[in-house]
Amino acid sequence: MFGFLKILAANVAKGPSTDPFPFVESPAPKRFRGKVRLNPALCVGCAICRHVCAGGAIHIAGRPDGSGYDFTLWHNTCALCGLCGHYCPTGAISMSSDWHSAHPQTEKYDWCERHFVPFLACEGCGEHIRPLPSALTGRIYADNDVDEAHLARLCPQCRQLETALHLGRNGHEDHKRA
Amino acid sequence: MKKLIATLSARSPWLYRINAGSCNGCDVELLTTACIPRYDVERLGCKYCGSPRHADIVLITGPLTARVKDKVLRVWDEIPEPKVTVAVGICPVSGGVFRGGYSIEGPLDKYLPIDINVPGCPPRPQAIIEGVIKARDVWRARIGG
Repeated sequence: MFGFLKILAANVAKGPSTDPFPFVESPAPKRFRGKVRLNPALCVGCAICRHVCAGGAIHIAGRPDGSGYDFTLWHNTCALCGLCGHYCPTGAISMSSDWHSAHPQTEKYDWCERHFVPFLACEGCGEHIRPLPSALTGRIYADNDVDEAHLARLCPQCRQLETALHLGRNGHEDHKRA
Repeated sequence: MKKLIATLSARSPWLYRINAGSCNGCDVELLTTACIPRYDVERLGCKYCGSPRHADIVLITGPLTARVKDKVLRVWDEIPEPKVTVAVGICPVSGGVFRGGYSIEGPLDKYLPIDINVPGCPPRPQAIIEGVIKARDVWRARIGG
C-alpha cells in the first residue's frame, strides 16, 4: 500500500526533470545539427553545397571584377540536413551547436552566413583564381614529390602543365617502382 | 480595474496554433514544448487554448498551401487584437524546402504581419520557448502591461 512512498522518495531525490532553459543556458547534445558555419579559409567555391542543398539556402556568386566570390547562406530556409557539410570536399562547412534561431521579423533577411573569399593571380598566367587550400593539395599530391605550395597558387591549366613537366623530368612514382 | 486586468493578463499570454499545411514536424515540437514536463511552456504562464478568440500569441507552422490559405487567414482574423504572430519552422518564414511548389502560396509574410521568426526544420523545443519569450515581450509592449 505504501509502495508509492518509495517512488516519491526516488523522484524527490532525483530533482526536477524540467529543462530550466529560459533561466539557464541549455547546451545542445554533442552531435546536434545547429546553424551552418563556413570556414572561408577552406572554401574553394566548388558549389557542391549549393547543388545538394534541399532548401536552396546557399548562394555563391563571383564578383564582376574577378576579385573573389561571395558565399551567402540564408538560415531561414536551411533545413539543417547537413548534406552541405557531408559533401564538402575540404570540410569548410560544418554544423555548429548554435540552436538560437528566434529573431524578429525585421532581421529576417539578415539572418545569414556571409563570407567573401578572395581570388589571387595565378603565378603562371596571371588569371584570377582561388588558390587551393593546403588541406586539398595535401590529399591530391599525397604520393607525389612536388612543390605543393607553388602548385596551389597556379590555375588548373598551369598546374597541369607544371605537373606534366615535373613528371617528364623525374618520371612517375609508379614507373620508378616497376 | 482595466489596468489591473492588463497587468495581470500580461503575465500569461495564451497560445494558439495554426497548421498552414505543415508536415507535422513543427507541430510535434510545439506539442513537446507544451505537453511534456521536460520543456513545459506553462512555467512561463503560457497555455495552449482551443479557440482563436481566446488567443494572444499565435504560432503558425507550415508553408501556407493553396488549400488552407483562406482558412488560415480567416482563423487568424478571428484572433482579437493585439496579437503577436510567430512563424515556427523554415516553411512559414521562407517556404523552406517546399518553396516554388505548385500548391504553395507562402511565404506567410505576404499575407500576414509576422512578428517573430523561429527557423529550424523543426526548431528545437528550447528555440520555440525562446521565440515564445520574444513574442511575449512584443505582446507586453503592445498591450502596455
